[in-house]
Amino acid sequence: MSFYNGFLNFTNWSGNVILPTLAGLFFALGILRFSKGYPYSHALYGGMMALAASGLLRALEHFAAQRAWNDPDVYWISIVSFVDWVTNVLMPVYAAVEVTAGGLALATDQRFQHTGGWMRHFMTAGLCLLLSGFARLAEYFVQQGVGGVT
Amino acid sequence: MQTPQLLNDIINVLLLLAPAAAVICLVLGGISLRREGGGITFVLGGGFSKWMFWCVVFLTLQPLLTWFSSFGVGVPLPGGGINASWLASFESDITSFVNNFILGKLVTTLAAYFVLRAILDAAAGDAFLPSVVAALFLLGAQTTLNLLSSWNTGTQYATVDVLDSAWTYLATTVMPIAAGLAIVGAIFNFVAQRPMMRLVAVALALLSVSGIWYLVVAMAS
Repeated sequence: MSFYNGFLNFTNWSGNVILPTLAGLFFALGILRFSKGYPYSHALYGGMMALAASGLLRALEHFAAQRAWNDPDVYWISIVSFVDWVTNVLMPVYAAVEVTAGGLALATDQRFQHTGGWMRHFMTAGLCLLLSGFARLAEYFVQQGVGGVT
Repeated sequence: MQTPQLLNDIINVLLLLAPAAAVICLVLGGISLRREGGGITFVLGGGFSKWMFWCVVFLTLQPLLTWFSSFGVGVPLPGGGINASWLASFESDITSFVNNFILGKLVTTLAAYFVLRAILDAAAGDAFLPSVVAALFLLGAQTTLNLLSSWNTGTQYATVDVLDSAWTYLATTVMPIAAGLAIVGAIFNFVAQRPMMRLVAVALALLSVSGIWYLVVAMAS
């Protein structure tokens, strides 16, 4: 017996046994909340993340391995990689989800999210896809103001 | 003047009891893990660190004593065994008690109590992780002791060498596994609509502890 083995197996058990089991519970919670008109997205996405815990850890390991282990910039680069992944990979995927939800809302006149009509869905999709552009625009404005007010 | 035999025997007894003292420090360190766990964090520099430090000191006591020679103080360690039979018996009994009673039996029982405590912690709405980690640490006490002993270089820097190796082991072996637990915690927080970005940032930090160390070194230089 060793602490290393115990800790490793405890982590594996939590991430690969318990979380996937609880994913079903999270989905059930999401459905119950949806039926009552409450926000359900946390339970829904939580269920998905519970099924993908190992994959999420592998993703973070990939972000942290962008530089050598003794490079002082390794943490900064790992955060940059994480932000890049969220904004340029996840957000466009989320845009597709919002376009689908917007289209369905428009076609059926049903609201899939208690706060959102079709206009909000399409607006959100556009914002998701324009995220990098907005960041560049903000940087441009800041650059224009470097000289100060004259 | 020749050192009296009784004095040599007492020195031998104390030196031979150092590994037993290291075992006791290790067990007390494991218990401190539970006592000082503040939620999901552990207090570095608290009781656990203190007991682990003394554990390392006891394991590397003989190499550490060679420092006195460099100060100009001769420390001739007596060779051979313990001549006085009652002192030899005393040393043997204490060592046997620590290895067979404490390390062999008591530690497992303590770990079992910590597992029970983890369940009670969860029932009370407190974090159960410190109790689980303490139980795992106590169950692996013998292996941890062997690991610490394997890092003993036997030089006058042996104490620091062992502490260095322990840091490297913690940063490169244990912390990446802790990153997995941080992800699990982040998912639970997300579902419960509690802040989760902190745990994502912590997971990234745990995966790049060495890089952060070099960052701090670069900042200081």
